[in-house]
Amino acid sequence: MRKFVFALVLLLAGATAWAGPKKELHILSANDMHAAIECMPRLGFVADSLRALYPDLLVLSAGDNRSGEPLNDMYEIPAYPMVALMNIIGFNATTLGNHEFDSGQQGLAKLISMSSFPSLCANVQPDAKWNMHVKPYQLYDCGGIKVAVLGAVALSPMGIPESHPMNTTDMKFTAPLATIQQYQFLRQQCDVMLLLSHLGYETDVEFSKELPWVDVIVGGHSHTQLKGGELHNGVFITQNKNRLQCVTHTTITVEDGKVVDRKAENIAIRGQQNENKVIAALVEYFSHNPAFHRVLAQVDTPFECYEELGCMVCDAYKQEGQADVSFQNAGGVRYDKFAVGGFSVADALRLDPFQNEAIELNLTGKELADMLVKCYMNDNKVFPYVGGMKAAYTIDPATRDIKKLVLTDEAGKKLDPKKTYKVVTNSYAVAISPTNRKDAGRGIGKITAQLVMSYLEHQGHVSYQGVRRLTEKK
Amino acid sequence: MKLKVNRTTIEVFEGAEIRQALLTYLARRRMSLKFIDQLEVFDVWGHEIDQGAPVSQYSQVKLKFKN
Repeated sequence: MRKFVFALVLLLAGATAWAGPKKELHILSANDMHAAIECMPRLGFVADSLRALYPDLLVLSAGDNRSGEPLNDMYEIPAYPMVALMNIIGFNATTLGNHEFDSGQQGLAKLISMSSFPSLCANVQPDAKWNMHVKPYQLYDCGGIKVAVLGAVALSPMGIPESHPMNTTDMKFTAPLATIQQYQFLRQQCDVMLLLSHLGYETDVEFSKELPWVDVIVGGHSHTQLKGGELHNGVFITQNKNRLQCVTHTTITVEDGKVVDRKAENIAIRGQQNENKVIAALVEYFSHNPAFHRVLAQVDTPFECYEELGCMVCDAYKQEGQADVSFQNAGGVRYDKFAVGGFSVADALRLDPFQNEAIELNLTGKELADMLVKCYMNDNKVFPYVGGMKAAYTIDPATRDIKKLVLTDEAGKKLDPKKTYKVVTNSYAVAISPTNRKDAGRGIGKITAQLVMSYLEHQGHVSYQGVRRLTEKK
Repeated sequence: MKLKVNRTTIEVFEGAEIRQALLTYLARRRMSLKFIDQLEVFDVWGHEIDQGAPVSQYSQVKLKFKN
């Protein structure tokens, strides 16, 4: 018996001696921040707090850091505020989300050069002429734990990320899964293999079957709220909803160079107290950006009603969207008077504050008329403003339903019900106007306020006093 | 792009977000568009998703009214 106990003690002592000490890797991850700069002071506080406990904290973003807040997206260097805030928070890496490409090639190259963290995306190869420093992966030593972080972005059926095609010319994109598989060699160089994915939750789950050599997928793109993390086919997956409602703190336990445990918790960000005051001051600075008071055009005669401003908005859609005709739901024009003088960026954003996307559709005259009627019905029975055409409509006084609609071009000629017109409107108007039309439409990669700003800059001077394009009959 | 919202298949423009799909759904069902802010959206796995999510990521979503 004594011999047996002695042997057991020796065995256990030996086992203890062979097993290396357990180490923990801590990751703070965000995804789809969409320029929620108001939440960055709180995120900074959370990062600082975790870093005080875990000095080797890895702070990661799974992409779509920009697009969603004019203070960021329309800065002099578009989207620079988020880069500055991520620099100060101490992000270690981001992958490229599809919205990173909204900056255009030169804009994205500039933002990457201003980032103190790498942009990791294995399935993007920009042409050398863009001087865009995108890396497929990065190796980190986090307190003795070797971590490989590999990035990837989702591609649309067109084979490019979901941004305007002009933003992705002279860039090569490769299929995400096949590309990721080419980096399996990283497994030999690290203790923890992490995929920083802007592929979406369902793709992450699907890919987990093919990627047994990956330990963790820090995901984004589908804005899926997971409760901490989920284990699928042996791969641990995390993701949160967008605009910093939550972030994830993941703890990975490593023993003898192998991951032996993975767990994660959500940390609420939006609406929470305790902020990093330096970051709060920086956000305050970005929020009072003098560039927002830049004058785009001179208003030569005062705007005196909603329709006059609506006509200007529609002219902006038509001209900047290179359309035949345009329309704008009436509820989307937010003020009805504007005095003579300078029209600034802030005025444009106040006029059209909803961040709606500009949408183009190819519609027959008949389809256009049906869509305008549907838009009227679902926008509190107020007729949309129009550009490149005039509308005369007859209303049933009892129900306020439209009984008859006649559309004419600027010269007074009736629009042909069978002819196809290129129409530009906003995403809200398209969404609330479901009709039987052949073309469902597509985004043109700009928000409508941008079209208004470009139009004003191109015009220099505007005058819409007395402009009327809608005639209501009873 | 098509998306099944509850049991209704709707078509939305390329690049649409879930919010726009819900507006189309409400308009098709002749429901008040004001309900949009009272809806919670879930994927087929039962995860909550937000209205800013790209429609292209989903083939089906389910709606619930917030409590």
